[in-house]
Amino acid sequence: MNREDSGVHPGKFVALGLQLGLLLLVIRQFQIESSAFLRLSLLAFAGFAVHYFLPLRFRLPLFVLLSLAGILLVFGFANSAWLVGFGLLLIAICRLPIALRLRVLLLLVAGGGLAALRSGWLEGPWSAAIWPILGSMFMFRILVYLYDIEHEKGPTSTWRTLAYFFMLPNVCFPLFPVVDYKTFGRTHYDADRHRIYQTGIEWMVRGVVHLVLYRVVYYHLTLAPSDVIDPDSLVRFLVSNFLLYLRISGHFHIIVGMLHLFGFNLPETNRLYCLSSSFTDFWRRINIYWKDFMMKVFYYPMYFRLRKSGPTRALVVSTLLVFGVTWLLHSYQWFWLRGSVPLTWQDGVFWGTLAALVLFNSLRELKHGRQRSLGTTTFSVAQRLSRGLATVGVFLFICLLWSVWTSQSFSAWFSMWDFLGPSRAAQARLFPGYFIGVSLVLFASAALYGRLPVRSEEGPAASGPVPLRPALGTLAVLVALAAAGIPAVYKRLPTSAANAILSVRKAHLSRADTAAFERGYYENLTRVDRFNSQLWEIYMRRPVFHWLSVESGGLVRLTGDFLEKEMVPGFNTETPFGTISVNRWGMRDLDYERLPEPGTYRMAFLGASSVLGWGVEQHENFESLLEAKLNATPLDSTHDRYEILNMAVAGYFPLQQLLVVDKALTFEPQALLYFATDREALRSTWYLSAALRAGRPIPYDYLQKLIGRARIDTATDETTAIKRLEPFKDELLDWLYQSIAARCRGQGVQPAWVFLPSIREGRWAEDLARQSQQAEAAGFLVLDLSGAFDGHAVDALRLAEWDNHPNALGHRLVAERLFAMLQQHPQAFF
Amino acid sequence: MDTETIKQQVKSYILREFLPGESPTALTDTTELVTHGVLDSLATLKLVTFLEEEYGISLEAHEVDAEHLNTLPAIAALVFSKRK
Repeated sequence: MNREDSGVHPGKFVALGLQLGLLLLVIRQFQIESSAFLRLSLLAFAGFAVHYFLPLRFRLPLFVLLSLAGILLVFGFANSAWLVGFGLLLIAICRLPIALRLRVLLLLVAGGGLAALRSGWLEGPWSAAIWPILGSMFMFRILVYLYDIEHEKGPTSTWRTLAYFFMLPNVCFPLFPVVDYKTFGRTHYDADRHRIYQTGIEWMVRGVVHLVLYRVVYYHLTLAPSDVIDPDSLVRFLVSNFLLYLRISGHFHIIVGMLHLFGFNLPETNRLYCLSSSFTDFWRRINIYWKDFMMKVFYYPMYFRLRKSGPTRALVVSTLLVFGVTWLLHSYQWFWLRGSVPLTWQDGVFWGTLAALVLFNSLRELKHGRQRSLGTTTFSVAQRLSRGLATVGVFLFICLLWSVWTSQSFSAWFSMWDFLGPSRAAQARLFPGYFIGVSLVLFASAALYGRLPVRSEEGPAASGPVPLRPALGTLAVLVALAAAGIPAVYKRLPTSAANAILSVRKAHLSRADTAAFERGYYENLTRVDRFNSQLWEIYMRRPVFHWLSVESGGLVRLTGDFLEKEMVPGFNTETPFGTISVNRWGMRDLDYERLPEPGTYRMAFLGASSVLGWGVEQHENFESLLEAKLNATPLDSTHDRYEILNMAVAGYFPLQQLLVVDKALTFEPQALLYFATDREALRSTWYLSAALRAGRPIPYDYLQKLIGRARIDTATDETTAIKRLEPFKDELLDWLYQSIAARCRGQGVQPAWVFLPSIREGRWAEDLARQSQQAEAAGFLVLDLSGAFDGHAVDALRLAEWDNHPNALGHRLVAERLFAMLQQHPQAFF
Repeated sequence: MDTETIKQQVKSYILREFLPGESPTALTDTTELVTHGVLDSLATLKLVTFLEEEYGISLEAHEVDAEHLNTLPAIAALVFSKRK
């Protein structure tokens, strides 16, 4: 039952507006989520300002209009029309005046059609980007809606229905809490409006804090499984992996907080999930909306159906049903979000284990009861200690289970435990610092705050003034965040603090995800399906057809040997991103004769996609630009023509270049430039382990012996292989560089090692010094192009948000820097 | 039996069964039993059994939600409407 409106209060409105203004500033400064979310927030907060002054009866319609405007803002007119049109069709079916079974049947047919469109079996004039949002809006809420309108007394409100499905924040958040329809209506202005608004702001700020904490965890604490070398790194891996859930809890707080601005006094979505003292407690805290959805639609109906056969049997069957359905619906969710249906053993193990644990706890509670509190009970020291210990145990076990759920493979998960074996990494630490730290924090928190008292002053009768202390606390956090985000402020802080703030001001991939992203170019990455992965979001923003799609269109063919693949000579295609033309020698380059004409200075460039000029026109890549510049501005008087053979192939790792060198030398260049990026040693071990697993012939004695020394074979999983090759990676790179340099010098060719920086500087900067030393020791002339991109923003240099290859400007800068380098070394080259 | 009597009986049950040791004055008409976790699923089902046995009513699955069970007055109103 909704309350009467408490009226306009200019002072309170200004206070709310000030906070929203600061929040908008923070969202912008810290680049919270996407630019679309910033625009949506602006729309929401401006809409709030209008909404505030409207009579109650107009507010819901305005919310609906704002929601539709949000969709238009993000998707544009055509795609919005399709999204909303599909949605209205589904709503209309729900509202048909026919039996429930017939409506369900029609929805299944309509859903099947939409699923066919989502799968790409049928195509249409819309962007694929609408499917995750449409799915997010309807896939679960339609179940709740049907259930509720079936039992609703009185007519179903059209405005509420539209508001429920097209909720304003949903267009930016495909992972969305399953808001209950009845609760959505019941809580609309069910308390003092200013309390509702202030709670919303508080929750949005809390959400932003969660997202900043997520970045701290994601950038600074997460490890790749291959980095787990001792108990402490294992605990760090497990805990940081689980804490990536902060992203979801952050999103959910922002979403529900934003809904509060429009009067929806919805309950919280999660409640101190790290302080769960049992597995049932964890299930009740981690995603309260999902739990309520399961209880309402599956648990209680099944329980009521079975209760005559005994409460225990009914409880067991209903609980197992809930977890079975949760497993299936998670996969169903991923179909709409990603277009694939992952039913994996990891999901089965996770949900099956959690089901067993929750069931055990539930049966125990059924028999022995559970202590609840309204805040007046005093707990003894023994009770607090017991709770603290239970919380630590539950948390660490959940982290362990979570790691299984998010692991790439069974063997990869098991390989994390290698450190328990006889061989131990040199840098392994025995002191379990992380374990002690995490346990102490959790123990203390649970003992002191684990059982929060019920706030009896909340609820429909809450009509007093907005509590001042929480509001001031929220304001303080906003001011602190806003100030911290101002460069003039954080640059005055100590360097470490300033760097810490700088590191979390922007969203980017962690080192582990960057590595996975790169490997995604060369593998069919199927594990980008975990909701806590920023990697998945980048993949989601990638257009369906993009320049990387050309690889599967005949550009590349497999060679069946250690080289793995090569470009197909004569391949030619027009793409929206330019022409891709491969000459008779398998190079994306002009057509040259096998041997240079007299008076020609010829160089061969070896590299991967950046050298190839992926995503730019052929004449825009730095090789072509440099060649043109050399021919226009010769650097020596003995040659009247310059040729550069671009032998780069997208996806080539350092080890593959050995075979490319042999090919390059047949063209009799005077110089061979090997373009290196970061992590050359690690990337060499990646490739060696991948080639071995794929069964490709290993043609070099040294590599065959190395495989034996590292104790890896074709059955060794990736994580284990990389770990076992880790001690040999520098030796491997030395061998590679010496081999290339020796081959070049043996034929009188000047070898040069050129460091090509990535668009994102400093990610693996510690590798550069070592790599260049190794190259110089091997006999290369070292040319360092670091700084080529200085003074230019990342966005101005890269191809797209989801692709950090250099764009035309980036290539031009590289060409200019390389030309300058050649000018500095005329003796070596000319 | 009026709603006030039902409410007091339900309050006594909840205090006895789920909140032993709590001050009765802490459980008020505005205390949100479901949304704040006092009535979790197991407690809710126990309460349903109590209400059905005590008042001779029959509840359905869709009535086991916050709308009907979140506060003492709501519970009393549900029982009262079912007894009519």
